[in-house]
Amino acid sequence: MRELALTDMERLGAFDEAERTFQMTEEAFRVFYELTARPVRAYLGRMTNDDRLADDLLQETYYKFLRSNAVFDSDDHRKHYLFRIATNLVHDHRRRPRVEVPASTAAQEALAAPVDAHNADRAAARIDLSRAMEHLKPRERSLLWLAYAQGWSHEEIASAIGVKTASLKGMLFRARHRLAVILRNPGGRS
Amino acid sequence: MSSLECAREDLVLGAVLAGRWPSADEELVAHAQQCEICREVAEVAVVLRADHDHARREVHVPVAGQVWWRSAVRARLESAQAATRPMAWLHGVTAAIALGVLFAIIGMAWPSLIVAADWAREVAAPLIANGEVSGAVSGVLRQSMVIAVAAAAGLLVAPVLLYFVLSND
Repeated sequence: MRELALTDMERLGAFDEAERTFQMTEEAFRVFYELTARPVRAYLGRMTNDDRLADDLLQETYYKFLRSNAVFDSDDHRKHYLFRIATNLVHDHRRRPRVEVPASTAAQEALAAPVDAHNADRAAARIDLSRAMEHLKPRERSLLWLAYAQGWSHEEIASAIGVKTASLKGMLFRARHRLAVILRNPGGRS
Repeated sequence: MSSLECAREDLVLGAVLAGRWPSADEELVAHAQQCEICREVAEVAVVLRADHDHARREVHVPVAGQVWWRSAVRARLESAQAATRPMAWLHGVTAAIALGVLFAIIGMAWPSLIVAADWAREVAAPLIANGEVSGAVSGVLRQSMVIAVAAAAGLLVAPVLLYFVLSND
């Protein structure tokens, strides 16, 4: 089948059409994006350990969010929905066959960063965390990040990753224990 | 409290998230050293929060307008693709109907074709019996050649046309 391409005029038309088909105006989107883009990008970066992939998934996350027909009763609800889309995209990506295994983001940064004792310690800590997180299940990573990096409540996490609040406590306990054991003993594994 | 949680773990987490760990109140820090759950909460939260703060400072995100623009163009493209999908189906359905009609016509005309063949045999038999074999054969060939060529062309060209019509969609 022939690939469709848009002319410049159609691209301009797309801008007007977007105001009608997306679930918020451009101005409202700009405000929402300014509040959420960095946390979502940081989350995607830690979930994937791949900067390029995280950038792609960030665009994809906002696209799916804009095309959704969901109705939100608060800004928090909207934010949790956005993280839910991001989480699902990461899980979908992991289910696809892998073409290449990217080097970890922290490891790449460490190689590129100027060497001084303070930076070296922090880079080493990020590498340890990257390696430790790779030994966790995707859902465990999400749980830990949202709970301890973002500081979300159990209800907020349950809403974002689609699990029951009642089962979250046990899941969080097990994930935290696994990560703590790995971090204490980076060479060995739990 | 169950063995899965400690009543004070929220205080420990709050101190870490606020950047007050381990300089939070001494009693809480001392508790965390004794309590396995609070100790793990502090260990994990300190590392993850530091990574989070670093990532938030260092990551580069595109400006909102760029994300909006890309999304708008993609939405338009997907709408255009969705609009052309029924056209492809329509061509397929049309081709199927045309084939059905063709077979129906052949089926209906089949008895007439047999009658015509019998008639042709009766006309040709006396000519062949009179020794005008070459004239009879060439006459029949001349008449049937036009029909045969048209039928063959139709059979060859129809699938090719169909292919090009569908591939353009």
